[in-house]
Amino acid sequence: MAGQIQPVVQTAGLCKTFKDFWRRPHVEAVKDLDLEIKPGEVFGLLGPNGSGKTTTIKMLLGLLYPTKGRISVLGKPPTDVSVKARIGFLPEESYLYRFLVAHETLDYYGRLFRLPARIRSERSDRLLDMVGLRQEARRRVGEYSKGMARRIGLAQALINDPEFLILDEPTTGLDPIGARQIKDVIRELGKKGKTILLSSHILADVEDVCDRVTILYGGQQWAAGDIGELLCKTDATQITTPSLSEKTIAQVRDLIFRLEQKDILDISNPRVRLEDFFLRIVGEAQAANIRTSGARGGGEIPDFLKQPTESSTQEVVDSLVFAASQKVDPVPIQAPLPPEATGEPSSEVIQQLMGSESAKTTPEPVEAATERPRPARPDRPREKPSADASVIDELLGRAKQETEGHSEDKR
Amino acid sequence: MTTVWAIARHMIAEGIRMKLALVFLVLIGLVVLGLPFSISGDSSLTGAVQSFMSYGLSATGVLLGMLTIFMSRSLADELVGHQIFLVMTKPVSRWQYVLGKWLGMTILNAAFLLCSGVTIYGMVHYIKRTHPPIDDRYDKAELNNEVLVARHAVRCTLPDFTKPAEMEFEQNLEEGLYDSVPDFDPAVEKTRLASKYEARWRVVGPLQMRVFEFENVLCDRSPDNHVQIRYKTDVSEFASDEIFRALWVFGDPFMGARQVSRPVRQVVGRYHTVHVPADSVADDHTLTAYFYNENPYEGEPQYRNIIEFRKSNEVAVLFIVGSFEWNLVRLHILMLCKLMFLGAVALLMTTVFSFPVACLASFTIYVLAGTRSFIKEALDFSSDDFATMFTSMKEFFVQLMMQVYNVIHWIIPDFAKFDAVESLVNGRNVSLVWVLQAVFGLVLVKTVIVLGLAILLFHRREVAEVSV
Repeated sequence: MAGQIQPVVQTAGLCKTFKDFWRRPHVEAVKDLDLEIKPGEVFGLLGPNGSGKTTTIKMLLGLLYPTKGRISVLGKPPTDVSVKARIGFLPEESYLYRFLVAHETLDYYGRLFRLPARIRSERSDRLLDMVGLRQEARRRVGEYSKGMARRIGLAQALINDPEFLILDEPTTGLDPIGARQIKDVIRELGKKGKTILLSSHILADVEDVCDRVTILYGGQQWAAGDIGELLCKTDATQITTPSLSEKTIAQVRDLIFRLEQKDILDISNPRVRLEDFFLRIVGEAQAANIRTSGARGGGEIPDFLKQPTESSTQEVVDSLVFAASQKVDPVPIQAPLPPEATGEPSSEVIQQLMGSESAKTTPEPVEAATERPRPARPDRPREKPSADASVIDELLGRAKQETEGHSEDKR
Repeated sequence: MTTVWAIARHMIAEGIRMKLALVFLVLIGLVVLGLPFSISGDSSLTGAVQSFMSYGLSATGVLLGMLTIFMSRSLADELVGHQIFLVMTKPVSRWQYVLGKWLGMTILNAAFLLCSGVTIYGMVHYIKRTHPPIDDRYDKAELNNEVLVARHAVRCTLPDFTKPAEMEFEQNLEEGLYDSVPDFDPAVEKTRLASKYEARWRVVGPLQMRVFEFENVLCDRSPDNHVQIRYKTDVSEFASDEIFRALWVFGDPFMGARQVSRPVRQVVGRYHTVHVPADSVADDHTLTAYFYNENPYEGEPQYRNIIEFRKSNEVAVLFIVGSFEWNLVRLHILMLCKLMFLGAVALLMTTVFSFPVACLASFTIYVLAGTRSFIKEALDFSSDDFATMFTSMKEFFVQLMMQVYNVIHWIIPDFAKFDAVESLVNGRNVSLVWVLQAVFGLVLVKTVIVLGLAILLFHRREVAEVSV
């Protein structure tokens, strides 16, 4: 239909039943899965081990065939070869050829995308810079540590500048720098309008980068919706300021009680996240030029990945129409899990402040929520905190300087 | 084609870097370079070269066949190691993937054949230079004229033996000789009689003469050129020196051919070659040869031998139609055609079975293709002569085996039909027609069918497995 944005992924009644030797149904890995991923979305596929995440991804990629149901990826069946030119895939393990060196690995996958030799070479160099393996580019991948192999896996997934990126457990086996870098890449690509499907059971990763999530269990979808709305505690307000004196805190407490008849629930100094702390320490070690045969901090995200996905007039119009349609025709969010609360600050908060046991009663489940402006979340990396940015920028900046140093050497 | 080529290149790199190809290269090198120092043939130069080429080329063929089967492990490994996930999620069709693998195997095989061909050629010349001669002049001439050439063979035209057989049959019938024969079959009897006349014709009694006619001897008839008569005889009695004496006379002067005679004094029971001037071939490209069973050497006694030209060792005229080098090239093309088919079979098996099973199945087909003629003979023998001795269960089993053979016959080509090693070793021409038959029958038909089947099966299978 004209004006409607085609979902990047759409499944309807998707089922996958594995059969035993005698062709009898053995395991139902995925049951009646209806999934829709819109263009430009960072979509999280969550679930414990064996919940059907990887099976779903394999079906989206045409590696497994559905037992029942329909799949459309970028408007075509997943077995359509032309679709795959627009997809990047990082599997749950790296599955690289042990006998190839890193550069040859990227070159091989670039050839499969029919990229010209010059572009293959340029992109391979830049991606190796990005994942911090430029100096190890001539080593056989078989000699790499698991984390280094994951980094090459990420690089190969990006060699074609994919429109749709599928990352299956991308941070598994990576050190915090690598994990952080993958999240940065996801954010950067998300900003540029790429669509990303992220499958993980590391919830912090998903929370950091995803716009929407769906939670699978036993091959079935149990929850789906905008991550901000699913996780937002609307019954409390958090204000972060520079450190305050006891006197000021007492005055604020008085003021809040006078105006709202409510007390402050918690006053504490914010903690730095362990990830940020780790990155700062490693950054200091790198600044001291400590030798390592492993992966470096990683470099800047290559320019070719920073190009917006869509640029034509029609596509701009489409994106505007898409934005409008988002408002007019909101996507319902299922929320079968009991939410914390919704709407205005309720009496529960007061009761909680008063220490009433009744405040612990389970709130009523919400109806399908509507699309709303995302609530401000100070801990969300989308609005990246300055502490995070400084550390990663420091690492990236150093890598960039090194890269520039290399290029000067070459000259 | 870019994608197919990318996969083929990758396959070649894998073969080399995973050292599989290198191991086989070393083995082939050991065989080809080591054989000249361990094989002497019949101690003559020709024998040494023939033995070297025969063993060297056969061993190379077998080793490359094994390499081809082992190389198909690449596909199995990618399925088991899941590297295929990263390939199949790129814009690569299943047919491109299978074809790329096959192309990679074929290119590696072609490269190996090229290396082995060049080495064999070099080693032949090395043997020629260094082998200690029995009679230097004779040895080298024999090698150059009878081995390191490409000769076309024309067998003698046999007289029609059916007429005398028919006449005798009629006479026997009139005389009632067949009246008491149970289950009498006239056709079988006529064939038997014809065979009897043919056998008689092949025998030349003492002081008797036999005429051999050869047609279509399309050689260069210039006087300085030669054609060769090749034959092998059995002799009833011979002198104590195990040598028989006879006289050959070539050419029919009434047909415009020069007549020459060649007395021969030759060892019994071996192949012999007599060189005849090419202008002994008549204008109509026929050659007449008269064989006299008499001793032409004066002062020697006449041995009253009976000389027999066996059917299996027919008398033939050989004349040069090409060079040894091109013969060697064409032989290698025939070998490559066989390896191309085998590669397709190995890939087909790997798309269906796990590698150990696929390997076993591929080897079985390789052996069956190489021994198809033998199997056919064995099964025919069993069913014809021994069926009556079997119990019904055994007869059933034999018939079942015959049916299995018939299926194999349709699917698996007869590699022996395309085995040109014996021809090359004997200096026979490996004809272009032969090569074209292999290219068409083996590659364009059977290999394409097998590859198509492999692609179809691979297209239908899921490359991922249960992981819940």
